Amino acid sequence: MTTATNLRSVPLAKRFLSFTWIVIGLVVLAMVAFVFVQPSIVVDTLVTGGMWALMAGGLALVFGVMNIPNFAHGEFFMIGSLVAFTVFTPIQNWMLENPDAALVQVVGPFPGMVVAAIVGFGCGVLMEGLLFRPLRKRSRDQWVMNTFLLTAGVSVVLVNGNRLLFGNDFRGITRYWDVKPIEILGVPISVDRAMVFVIAMVTLAVFAVFLQRTRTGRSMRAVSQDETGAQMAGIGLNRVFMLTMGLSCALAALAGAALLFMFPSFPDVGVQPLYLAWYVVILAGLGNVQGAIVGAFIVAFLQTLAVYYVGLGWVDVLPTGFIILILLFKPSGLFGSEVKGVWEQ
Amino acid sequence: MSTERATPVADTNQSRPRARRTTAIASVALLVFAVVLPFIPPFTGQDYQRWLVGAALMAAMAVAFDFTAGYINIVNFGFAAFVGVGAYTSGLLAANLGISPWIGMVAGGVSAGFIGLLTGMLTLRLRGIYAAVMTWFVGLALMGLARNMTEITRGSLGLNVPLLLDTSDNLPYYYVILGLLVITLGVLTAVTRSDLGLAFRAIGQNLQAAKASGINPTLFLVVNFTLSCAFAGVLGGFYAHYYGILTPDVMLTSHTVEVLAVAYIGGRGTLWGPAIIAFPLTIGVELLRTQFANLPGLHLVLYGIVLILVMVYWPTGFAGLVRWVRDWFERRREGGRAAPAQAQPGA
Repeated sequence: MTTATNLRSVPLAKRFLSFTWIVIGLVVLAMVAFVFVQPSIVVDTLVTGGMWALMAGGLALVFGVMNIPNFAHGEFFMIGSLVAFTVFTPIQNWMLENPDAALVQVVGPFPGMVVAAIVGFGCGVLMEGLLFRPLRKRSRDQWVMNTFLLTAGVSVVLVNGNRLLFGNDFRGITRYWDVKPIEILGVPISVDRAMVFVIAMVTLAVFAVFLQRTRTGRSMRAVSQDETGAQMAGIGLNRVFMLTMGLSCALAALAGAALLFMFPSFPDVGVQPLYLAWYVVILAGLGNVQGAIVGAFIVAFLQTLAVYYVGLGWVDVLPTGFIILILLFKPSGLFGSEVKGVWEQ
Repeated sequence: MSTERATPVADTNQSRPRARRTTAIASVALLVFAVVLPFIPPFTGQDYQRWLVGAALMAAMAVAFDFTAGYINIVNFGFAAFVGVGAYTSGLLAANLGISPWIGMVAGGVSAGFIGLLTGMLTLRLRGIYAAVMTWFVGLALMGLARNMTEITRGSLGLNVPLLLDTSDNLPYYYVILGLLVITLGVLTAVTRSDLGLAFRAIGQNLQAAKASGINPTLFLVVNFTLSCAFAGVLGGFYAHYYGILTPDVMLTSHTVEVLAVAYIGGRGTLWGPAIIAFPLTIGVELLRTQFANLPGLHLVLYGIVLILVMVYWPTGFAGLVRWVRDWFERRREGGRAAPAQAQPGA
């Protein structure tokens, strides 16, 4: 949150000559170049980047406000996809029986996503209330590391709980919207993927307005900047923490629901989104929500490049190498903020 | 420092001769117990003996893991990948060049230690969570390499590795891994008792204070990390030559989380806690898995719940429980004679 103000106080020339902006500039230039060479790379980047932005935004938010590095973030993606599948399947069957109901064909997929987000929110609130609050009460020593390991335990429980309750089956759908692909930049792209991008952008915009303009959003940012100060200004920490955790998990669940056609629901489905969200957050700098959104597109770009030119298996290797390189020069990430003291524990 | 503190609690045994004698007796007794265990029913069965090998391997890995996590407070999330590096080094040397698995295990330790050294130099400038996440990424990258360099590692098809011993009986393997566990525990405990260990603890508890007393943190962090990775590599070598087949799945993050759970349930920063608790935990989990084969995942759910409960309510783990019981007995014995609270620094 703090970077925006920092950048404003730096002279314009210096701002754009910094390492961060050189990297971003290079990525943007490369993207522009690919519009002419291989437009599908650009389209793929935008579509996947939108979803990683949702995942990483939530992860960054929780770290910024609560100092919790959530290792179980991918599991909320999993919960979202499971809920969306459960809700959407009866709707889909009804749609197949009544192919004439045009309105339902259009809005049919949305109830699943909304319910997924609500369930995700509930799970987040539960997790805060049942786990983090007791831990916070007991001791805040080594909070960051302890919560990381705690969420690792949560992740194991959720993944295997899913396996226990619902078995090891893949639950997937082929598509949300049964219409012809549309063309963007001469690249045919399925309506589902285009809609995923739209959903991601709309959600992020609403989210940004919420954080910037509403009283609750402001109190969340206040807590992320200075917990004690916020408390003195009369902000109830417990309420903010619950809301933050809930929102973050809701975003992850929404991503899982919206991507159901690409990632069929499965106990381990959250693993790859989790890696990617973490790549993004580390690349951007922990706890920086805006940075995470930009970073999501950079990681999506690297991933797409890896898929196109090196091979599907290298999707994890290439971004890792890039992130290690970046961290050699900027250990606190591309948009690393100066709130280092808080988490350097 | 309150007893609630989650940081490694300095072992005060050196300053108390009687406690030291008790510890020595307890360790010898436990070792003898571990040696005769395979002859006590139901551990005489091949199933149980296979689980015992798994338990001892898990114990040794948890000790090596705790050496970084509990002392310098860096959680090596790529631990399983370093085990995998050792396993692949040893496995490939034996499978392709016909080098003896015993030498291969040492070579596995050297290569994992070397990669650990590079990783450490790269990531240990970063603190805490960044280092944890970076070691995780390095682990993911290593697993990606193992998956993709199919012409060398055969990827997920699996690499066939010659066995360590000319027998499929589990008992000899158990004594080999028990020996490795004793060596790991012995060497690492000796290191933590030395001046080096003092520096590790100082860094783990308070980096700034350690710097102020003239410790170069990065040097010690890297030394510690490299040592832990080297042991992971040797154990990986054993893993490869025990199971005889090697896939990149050995490097999965979920294996790291398993080791982590054992280390934390055992009690961080003690080394002996994880070594002991690994046996009942692993065997209990295996029993659950075979008893409830129709309920996949149940054993891991319980594993996770125990880890969560320990993290939230009893951060000192099994070792903390043992200490608590010991202190309780001591208080009873000394009751009325003196005020024991003052005589126990750091307890």
